[in-house]
Amino acid sequence: MGTAALTIDGLGVSFSGLKAVSAFSMIVETGELRVLLGANGAGKTTLMDLISGKTKSTEGRVFLGDTEITNWEEHRIARAGVGRKFQIPSVFRDLTVRRNLEVASCRNPSVFANIGFGFSKAAKARMDEVLGVIGLEDLRNEPASNLSHGQTQWLELGMLMVQDPKVILLDEPTAGMTQSETLKTSQIILALKGRHTIVVVEHDMAFVREIAERITVMHLGKLLAEGPMAEIETNPKVREAYLGSRRLS
Amino acid sequence: MIDTIFIGLSLASILLLVALGLSITYGALGVINMAHGEMVMIGAYVTVLAHIYLGVNLFFAIPLAFVVAAALGWLIERLVVRRLYGRLLDTLLATWGVAILIQQAVRLDLGLTFFGVNLAGLGPGLQNVQVPAVLQGSVSLLGVNLNVYRLFIILVTLIATVATWYLMYRTSIGTQVRAIMRNPKMAAACGINVKRVNALTFAYGSGLAGIAGVMMSGFKTVFPEMGTPYVVDGFLVVVAGGVGSLVGLIASSGLLGQINGVFAALTNDILARAVMFGTVILIIILRPQGLFSFRGR
Amino acid sequence: MSDADLNAAANVGTAPVEKAPPSATATRIKTWLEYAGYAGFILVILVLPFFFDEFTLNRFAKYLVYGMLGVAIALSWGYAGILNLGQGLFFGAGAYMIAMSLKLESRTSLAQGSDTPVPDFMLWNAEPGAPTELCCINPASFLWLPFQATWFGVLMGIVLPVVIAGIVGLTIFKKRVSGVYISIITLALVLLVRLVVIDAQPVTNGFNGLTDLAYLTVFGFEFDPYLKETYYLVAILLSLVLVGARLLVSTRAGLILQAIRDDQNRVRYLGFDVPVYQTVFFAISAAIAGLAGMLYVIVAEFASPTFMDLAFSITMVVWAAVGGRASLLGACIGAILINTIEASVSETQSLVQAWQVFIGLLFVGVVLFLPRGLAGLSSDIVDFVLRLFNRRRPAEPRPAGEAMRPPVAAE
Repeated sequence: MGTAALTIDGLGVSFSGLKAVSAFSMIVETGELRVLLGANGAGKTTLMDLISGKTKSTEGRVFLGDTEITNWEEHRIARAGVGRKFQIPSVFRDLTVRRNLEVASCRNPSVFANIGFGFSKAAKARMDEVLGVIGLEDLRNEPASNLSHGQTQWLELGMLMVQDPKVILLDEPTAGMTQSETLKTSQIILALKGRHTIVVVEHDMAFVREIAERITVMHLGKLLAEGPMAEIETNPKVREAYLGSRRLS
Repeated sequence: MIDTIFIGLSLASILLLVALGLSITYGALGVINMAHGEMVMIGAYVTVLAHIYLGVNLFFAIPLAFVVAAALGWLIERLVVRRLYGRLLDTLLATWGVAILIQQAVRLDLGLTFFGVNLAGLGPGLQNVQVPAVLQGSVSLLGVNLNVYRLFIILVTLIATVATWYLMYRTSIGTQVRAIMRNPKMAAACGINVKRVNALTFAYGSGLAGIAGVMMSGFKTVFPEMGTPYVVDGFLVVVAGGVGSLVGLIASSGLLGQINGVFAALTNDILARAVMFGTVILIIILRPQGLFSFRGR
Repeated sequence: MSDADLNAAANVGTAPVEKAPPSATATRIKTWLEYAGYAGFILVILVLPFFFDEFTLNRFAKYLVYGMLGVAIALSWGYAGILNLGQGLFFGAGAYMIAMSLKLESRTSLAQGSDTPVPDFMLWNAEPGAPTELCCINPASFLWLPFQATWFGVLMGIVLPVVIAGIVGLTIFKKRVSGVYISIITLALVLLVRLVVIDAQPVTNGFNGLTDLAYLTVFGFEFDPYLKETYYLVAILLSLVLVGARLLVSTRAGLILQAIRDDQNRVRYLGFDVPVYQTVFFAISAAIAGLAGMLYVIVAEFASPTFMDLAFSITMVVWAAVGGRASLLGACIGAILINTIEASVSETQSLVQAWQVFIGLLFVGVVLFLPRGLAGLSSDIVDFVLRLFNRRRPAEPRPAGEAMRPPVAAE
């Protein structure tokens, strides 16, 4: 057993009476790759919003290592070591691929510390390395707006790698991807494994089988089951909840 | 006390009348029409010209101004605005250019000054409009003297507001406008002729400004630059009220009109306007979605 | 929520881009051309005094001040994505601050019958029997006391815009007010301040503004607006501002700022305090506008509430749009060019009105057909020429970053 990288303790939020997430608890070990499953509306994205500070929780606590980060402002949570990739890829469209990575590699968050030019040798080497991993070396001087959907997703993953957070939250990284793109994405995510603690929300079961170790299943804002792939696939509660609404996704 | 409220009410109705059209073009089309003030000015000039050339009074100028301003609005939509949907701030800059052009058109007698021709009623000078006798003077109500013309403005605003409400919520074209407001692509997919509806919407908004112009001409001097303050005030009312909300629009014009009236009574017109601007800034900072907003998902 | 997002994500085209990457040479050539543009521009404005008399130079100095405003606009609009429709507020603040000091130095004011320097308009409007001292000639006149020191007025010309921008910026950016709402708040703010200035007639001289000012004196040297030295003061400061701003946007902070313009939230989740970045650059832009306001007073010898008119604030945005909103040099040249042409045209009376028509058409035309302005146009031309020279290479996409523009003489 390693140490807990991310601890969620009884987390919950309600939107005008509707409990989107309630009394949710989960411990993710350092270096683990955890997959979060659940039908649409199960509260997976809301959970990520709560962890990353986009939505403020009404109950429960979140710890990053030993630090409580519950309801901090987004940039503080990010600085503390939580990186996030959104469902809709968001990159800086007017900047080149390389410059996108440069933004992510600014180590000091302060404005005045960043009134200076260039990047350290180590940072440049890391950016080159990441460009290789995400396969965008040839497009480094291309504006991000010229990238395909898959390439944009990879670029965002690359930004996360450069940012080098302790915990990475990935929200459906293969949404809208072709099969070959999905394959490449799973390779990138597997490359991240070990270096980072990762939580992935995903629908694509083939993809989940490819990458998953432990799986957490959410249903109607609550924890339904947790365990290794084989165990989850045969879990009767999961089958029931899933078959009920799976067709939607 | 009551007369202050009455003044505030009449200021509010002017604001509402100007903001009504602006609210439609901004809310439904996502266009910041800086030439809206010039539509008000055109409406005022229509009154002036109608008197000189047609010999008709202010009452007849109302439908005429609506038609002229609406036609001009339709033209602007076709030539300029249509190419800029989705580029909000660019619509602001381009329509500012249009505003300059309209002002110049009036100042230069539609360009005829270059040929040495001057038309009575146009040109850079000041014009005045004779208010029909029925609308002059004041009536006494509950022991308070109420200016008839101000009452008339309130009445016209009321009619314009109700007509707009009816058009938007009780007719098929209104349903189409509201559908486009929510999701233009989906509306197009449902078979709505978005281009046509957009053009009509813009024309209607401009037409309302034309009516506002007729009202202004009755108690303000008419000159080519008269429109600019109206577009600013109108726009602040729209934003403070909440985009796309008719109730919000009425509430914010009521609030701002009363603030304007009360502070004008306490201090002076200049400071009253300053307080009004300050209020709008506060509203935007505290409630960016406006007093009322229908986008409350 | 999740369904909608998913659909949106799924609808994005998945076809990979089949374009060759821009050749390194072409990118380098464009960078060098951009540097050459800056160098050429600075060279041109610095050699102008060898060709023109002091009277013409005074006029050029005014246009250079407008050019500085263009730089301020491009910095906040092009790089930070903040369209400030109240830039006139900062220009006006800078102008009034220095004008107050210069007013107190004016000899003609002294001649109005007071032993100590008191602005003439205060004397004219003083209550009978009121003391003719600056401290107490009217209830608010004490505000003028520190301006007896010229350095204070000059300092405040930068400090006041920065402080206003800091407060306003932090408030609106913390509240995540964005896009058009920023423009509306800044617009309402400049009009509000304009009204207050007009209304505070006893201390500001209302509509009339501050006129009859002394020359700025630095270490015993008088900056008479009709001296070459005064022109150089403006030209050198403009060059410094231009180069400084260009360097600033190439820093890491400048890069993060552009990232914020593209996608605020992404930047937030990378750990940057977005409102602080926006406020800092908003304030820098305000400082540049304040400096421009001060220089305008030195050159034109008056400060007036018209600096805070709606039309002026929008007009300067349009100068920047014509020159190129995303290019510091482009916006600067756009402002200078339009004003130079306008002044030449205005010498013929019949053309004044026609010029206004042209300006109106220009606004509409640039927004419709040339959204990246002259800078974008020249960048495209350079691309075209580079392609002609490299026929064998595949088509080259335009590199991001600032578009460049060849030097254009300001005449």
